[in-house]
Amino acid sequence: MRQTILRGLEQVYGNLVHMIAEFLPRFLVMLIIIVIGLLVALALKYILRALLGLTKLDRVSDDAGASRVLRMAHLPPMTELLSRSIFWVTWIGFILVGLSVLRVAGLQEQISRLFQFLPEVFVAILILFLGAVIANFLSRTALLAAVNAGHPSPKILSWSIRFVIWILAISMTLEELGVARQTVISAFSIIFGASMLGLAIAFGLGGQDLARKCLERYLGDTKKKEDKEPQPL
Amino acid sequence: MAEDVLLSDDLLRQLMSVGEVDLLVGMSSHNAANTVSHALDAIEESFQRNFVRQRVVIVNVGGGDKDEDGVEAKGQGNLAEKVRLPGIISLRTSHRVTANISGPPSAGIALRTILAAADLLRARACAVVSPAASNLTPDSVANLLRPIYREKFDFVAPLYTRNRYQGLLARNLLYPMSRALFGCGIRELFSDEWGFSGRLAALCLNQDVWHEEAIQARPEAWMGISAISSDFRCCQAFLGEKSQATKGLATDIVEVLRQTVGTLFWCLEARQSWWLDCGKSQPVPTFGPAHELTSDPTDLDRHRIFEMFRSGVTELEPILSSILDPETHSEIKSIVSLEEGKFRFKSDLWVRTLYDFAASYHHAVINRDHLVQALAPLYRGMTYSFLVEHSDSSPAEMEAASEMLCGEFELQKPYLMERWKAKVEVKS
Repeated sequence: MRQTILRGLEQVYGNLVHMIAEFLPRFLVMLIIIVIGLLVALALKYILRALLGLTKLDRVSDDAGASRVLRMAHLPPMTELLSRSIFWVTWIGFILVGLSVLRVAGLQEQISRLFQFLPEVFVAILILFLGAVIANFLSRTALLAAVNAGHPSPKILSWSIRFVIWILAISMTLEELGVARQTVISAFSIIFGASMLGLAIAFGLGGQDLARKCLERYLGDTKKKEDKEPQPL
Repeated sequence: MAEDVLLSDDLLRQLMSVGEVDLLVGMSSHNAANTVSHALDAIEESFQRNFVRQRVVIVNVGGGDKDEDGVEAKGQGNLAEKVRLPGIISLRTSHRVTANISGPPSAGIALRTILAAADLLRARACAVVSPAASNLTPDSVANLLRPIYREKFDFVAPLYTRNRYQGLLARNLLYPMSRALFGCGIRELFSDEWGFSGRLAALCLNQDVWHEEAIQARPEAWMGISAISSDFRCCQAFLGEKSQATKGLATDIVEVLRQTVGTLFWCLEARQSWWLDCGKSQPVPTFGPAHELTSDPTDLDRHRIFEMFRSGVTELEPILSSILDPETHSEIKSIVSLEEGKFRFKSDLWVRTLYDFAASYHHAVINRDHLVQALAPLYRGMTYSFLVEHSDSSPAEMEAASEMLCGEFELQKPYLMERWKAKVEVKS
């Protein structure tokens, strides 16, 4: 009896030692991979920051109105945002590779799934970002054109354009991520269609006078209007 | 310059048959099929009356017109065979050359073609005229060519008689600002008619700027500024009454601002090394009377102009706040709230506003095209203020006010230089 217990304990001890002996090197490998990943990520971050600084991306971002969107979202400037993103993406990638070395049951499958999902996340972020830039640029274009043409409600026009582009961008982002695809498409179609129909009815029925004025302005005789302001040159 | 790329085989053939010339007059007949014959007659008459001994050529740039065939028939051939003035015998053969551009030629393409032709033909004096100008006369053509050919000037800008309430953008912005910054008091940098020497043509032709939007729209101002900043001799010549129906002259104020102020700001950017060191402005030699003002009645809706200023400044507040200095912006917001009768856009505020716009254009704080468009409501405010202030002013009083504004632009030039050189930080 005593012998059996001792043998069992010996076996468990042997297994534990064997497990530790097997796990420790893997754990060390994981740590090494993570540290190397940190160094690589830091190097990439500084290289990218320097390269983007040379290309004056922040100025382009300002020009397109993207910086304003980033500031509104309490995010850093474009160069900093991209260099920080590359740092985290690289390091997280190395951490996941390191974790897979541990050969923990079930974890590897989850990691590979996460890796497969990463490109879609990137594309989704890109779509959202481009949507923000385009919405900002076009809404400002519309605001300036409407103000300078003397339209009665330029801000409504500008915000409508911004709203439509944001809705479109968010729908595309969610579809890219595969979040309730059918629901998103249906919701977008319903919201967009209803908004357009609502605007058309409001403009045609509710704002008959405004519609008439607009048509007269675009299709009527413009000579009289031009004479109201002095020739600039 | 690669003429073989810029000039078509047909045009090269025509130019080679012409040989060297003394005088060249260029024009773009695009969208001017109805008036091109009048322009050609005026140029021909000018040659025969004023330049009997000189070798002359007319270069007509056309393309994309429905009536192109008709224009082409009028634009080519030997001049002497077509028009002969009684009692005047031309001692030289004159020529017409037509450059057909595929598609409607922009002002930049038309000028580049004319410059290339001038360079190839070694023309000594050149002029560009607008066939759409209803008041083009033989004398005005001669007035553009004579200072270059006889007095050895390199750039001739026109001077006009015009209504006292017309040309306010030129009077309140383009002229005083360009005079203060580039140190040369040329009144009409933006015009469809001007003259230049062969030397200046060669210099401009070899510049790598022809793809720029500003050059495509209004190349004449850039040419004038190039002449000023390269120490070429510049002068002005009186041409008579200003025609308002000139080709390419947009009537939409936003389009005019994009073409003129956009080009001026672009020139500031391109020539910054020159104007940042430039001293006080110098007077420009003028041939003929100085520009004159008439008092014909005009149909101006002052109330509408003021309302567009007021609504524009209110609606564009976020855009203006990113362009203007906070102090300038708050001053503008304070005058917006004034009653129409009490409203005045003071000259020092106007100058600071424009210098803020120029500096923001340089730093590209927002899209540059948007920036220039955002100036339209403020220009309307200045226009309203001008119309009210000078409703009873005599031409002499208006001229004195114009001189004071020019002085204000010069006085505040250090402000622009400071803002221009300041580093703009991207806020996180």
